[in-house]
Amino acid sequence: MTVVLIVALLTGAILFGIGVYGALSQTNLVMIMMGVEVMLAGAMVNLVAFWRFLHPEAYSGQMFVLVVMTVMALEMAVGFGVAIARFRAKGSVEMEEAEDLKG
Amino acid sequence: MYAQAFFVAVFGLAAIGFGVVVFRTSSMVRSALALLFSQTAVGCMFLAMQTEFLGVLQIMMMATEMSIMAIFMVMFMMDPGGLGGMDMSHQKRFSIGAGVSAAVVAIAVALLSDWGPVAEQVPDAEAQTRALGMELLGRSMMIFETAGITILTAMIAATAVAIPVKNLASKDNKEASE
Repeated sequence: MTVVLIVALLTGAILFGIGVYGALSQTNLVMIMMGVEVMLAGAMVNLVAFWRFLHPEAYSGQMFVLVVMTVMALEMAVGFGVAIARFRAKGSVEMEEAEDLKG
Repeated sequence: MYAQAFFVAVFGLAAIGFGVVVFRTSSMVRSALALLFSQTAVGCMFLAMQTEFLGVLQIMMMATEMSIMAIFMVMFMMDPGGLGGMDMSHQKRFSIGAGVSAAVVAIAVALLSDWGPVAEQVPDAEAQTRALGMELLGRSMMIFETAGITILTAMIAATAVAIPVKNLASKDNKEASE
């Protein structure tokens, strides 16, 4: 059983690394959001594995997964709102062209 | 147990493989579909780990979410088909370094930690869903309600941000002229 836990944790870790790479390397806002989604998916895999193999009696573990899913939906909604506003204003959602947003 | 290990590993590899394809392909539609398959594989991992409710929820949510994302990508990308061969990435070395470092640290924690005794059995799907419902409407109710209010706030905020400012300006001008 520990093997399954380790496999799940390794999967979560690698997904998180892929997400970090995507969020940092992409220039398009939608692609950056995709990177964040992959990172959150990695976190969810770990949370489910912890609940299943370490504390199946504590349902707050599943509750955490629901919170992460909520964060994913919020990120999508607000991100697309910002993307629409930016595209209307500048005609592009390329982050390299968004240096005017720097404080 | 062996079947569970096999399916968790297979779906885990699928999630990782499609996750890599998301950032390797030039076509934005393929990229969105790869993310959909990656998230679906994560949902299948949940099912393989006997977390049926969350697995089904993940697959349903991601199917709709990634379909919307694919539409937005075609709308907003300069080269949605990937036929122009545009490079849409920057600071590659730093990004690879950061991604590899994050993964290596997390893998080290996973391998070097003593996780203690592992549970052999979990309640069946019906009992799990009931217990999760009791958790949501009991001890974790405040968190659940906060998540709901936050979603409502985000929906209003996203709609407000997306409304064209031009129309508001023209409305102000019209009111001023009257």
